[in-house]
Amino acid sequence: MSGPTDYGPDSGGRVKGVCIVKPIVYGNIARYFGKKREEDGHTHQWTVYVKPYHNEDMSTYVKKVHFKLHESYADPNRIVVKPPYEVTETGWGEFEIVIKIYFHDPNERPTVTLYHILKLFQSGPDVMQGRKMLVSEFYEEIVFQDPTVLMQHLLTTTRQLSHGTWKHETDFEEKKEKTLQNILNAKNKIRYEIGDLKERVKLAKETIVKFKAEITKLQANTGNVS
Amino acid sequence: MADVRDILELERPPTPEITKEAILGPEKVKKKPLTTKVSKRPEGMHREVFALLYTDNKDAPPIFPTNTGQGYKQLKAKLGMRRVRPWRWMPFTNPARSDGAVFHHWKRTTDEAKDYPFAKFNKQVPVPTYTDTEYLQHLHNDSWSRQETDHLFDLCRRFDLRFIVIRDRWDRSRFPDRSVEDLKERYYDICGTLNKLKASSSHETKIYVFDADHERRRKEQLKRIFERTAEQIEEEQTLINELKKIEARKKEREKKQQDLQKLITAADCQAETRKSEKKLTKKKLQHQIRPRVDPSVVEAAGIKFPDFKGSGVSLRSQRMKLPASVGQKRTKAIEQLLQELSIELNPMPTEDICIHFNELRSDMVLLYELKSALATCEYDLQTLRHQYEALNPGKTLVVPSSISGNKETSRNYVSAESETAKQKGISEIIDVVGSPGTPNMT
Repeated sequence: MSGPTDYGPDSGGRVKGVCIVKPIVYGNIARYFGKKREEDGHTHQWTVYVKPYHNEDMSTYVKKVHFKLHESYADPNRIVVKPPYEVTETGWGEFEIVIKIYFHDPNERPTVTLYHILKLFQSGPDVMQGRKMLVSEFYEEIVFQDPTVLMQHLLTTTRQLSHGTWKHETDFEEKKEKTLQNILNAKNKIRYEIGDLKERVKLAKETIVKFKAEITKLQANTGNVS
Repeated sequence: MADVRDILELERPPTPEITKEAILGPEKVKKKPLTTKVSKRPEGMHREVFALLYTDNKDAPPIFPTNTGQGYKQLKAKLGMRRVRPWRWMPFTNPARSDGAVFHHWKRTTDEAKDYPFAKFNKQVPVPTYTDTEYLQHLHNDSWSRQETDHLFDLCRRFDLRFIVIRDRWDRSRFPDRSVEDLKERYYDICGTLNKLKASSSHETKIYVFDADHERRRKEQLKRIFERTAEQIEEEQTLINELKKIEARKKEREKKQQDLQKLITAADCQAETRKSEKKLTKKKLQHQIRPRVDPSVVEAAGIKFPDFKGSGVSLRSQRMKLPASVGQKRTKAIEQLLQELSIELNPMPTEDICIHFNELRSDMVLLYELKSALATCEYDLQTLRHQYEALNPGKTLVVPSSISGNKETSRNYVSAESETAKQKGISEIIDVVGSPGTPNMT
């Protein structure tokens, strides 16, 4: 791995070989009113958000977050410039929200785009009754490969966002462990079967050769039949 | 008549009102044929060509000169201004004729001394002659008499070696009927012998050898082709088509065989990396360097994920996107397998998960390929078995049951096939044939 010494005119102002990863969580929470609202027919209140996975102030490197809502909303383009990066609204339907994250350094590829399907309805009695909050959130990682010097500085000097414990609705650590273990198990299983299948294919191939030899022998014996 | 009436002042009809029609009427009649003559396009001439020749006068003349050279029309014929050379009606003899007949024709006086120009087209074929001694010593042939040979050479000279004519004029009353090939054979044989005799004293000459047998065979073949019936032609065509099909199938099989070999090598490579990975974990990952697999081999079987080495910001989940090259069938197979193994289609994108998830799906594609290769092999085996049974009725070849994944039962192939559905193995859920609804059994 080469250090920041690579920084020079040819590197495009980027620090080669450095890779900074910022894990985030994005998604929405929603709560059912319990009934349809008379004046506009809305049924849910929801909040769509982007937040850091670790307890840190993203605004040091994030310039703004752009939430693009469904066009039927009065002002579908919501721009949030400081944490918390979230939009709270009411509505009655699910739709795709386009979330664009802009960074302070304009040299970074301008945006990172996430697509989130707003979730309002879920089976489960508690949620349906409105007693429990519906959560639909996802883990994601923003990868900064060879960041610019400015960006590297911004990315590495983040402060804590709050002093309390930083928790998410979903236990991602547990999920991470489980998923990885699952995948590794699956991999072993598949590889075992590849080995098995390979042997079978080999055997089949050999048998084909053998059969062919038998047939040629037979044809030679009986004279040219075909 | 009206004028006469006018002069005589006879009952003049009331002067008709002068209208536009009255003036233009007769003119119109006059004009009409003129315009049609100009603008009517001859039948068969292309509209574009006609437009080039007869544009209506509304077009403005071109701004630039379009035809600066001579053009395609010469205005005046260039006629020679020299004095006319005189011609005369005169007799002539044709040197190509032996009878000295005299005819007359027109000839320029300047060319009077010259020979008849067409005489040179009378080409004579040199037909060799032989003496009595030569014939007795070298040219004797049991099936040909001297008289017959003489007759042949006489005809050859008369008809300039046109053997078809020679055969036609052959004296069948005196000599046995002979084919064109027989005649040619005798003639060229004598020519060759005579040439050899003359050449032996001085130097080697090239001798033309007539292969009569070859000619006979050739003509026989042509005759047969000519005399084929419509049914025979049709049969031949179908046979040729069959042959083409067989050859195409053979080629396809060979290609599949090669692919199979590639797959096996790829599987071997994967097994090796797995072993080395295990070793690495035992060594507690002292070295991070993984032995690289020959990329071209793995590429052939697995998934080639795009490199994300470029600088800039990206989302980790982007690296888990299947490249379009994977194709729908394989993508479907992957999804099927993932569901079976209860793994999310889009798992949490951490670095580890990303790497392993991609490797897993690459392996899945390899598994899929192996599976379809095995299916092809099984099909081939069955075909070969049927072929064998057809050749050798009452006997059969036994397909090893372990090929179809059936290790316990050692029954014949057909029942083994129905048995495979109950076999364990995740690969069984891959449906290489493409029919949905294969029962899962893990």
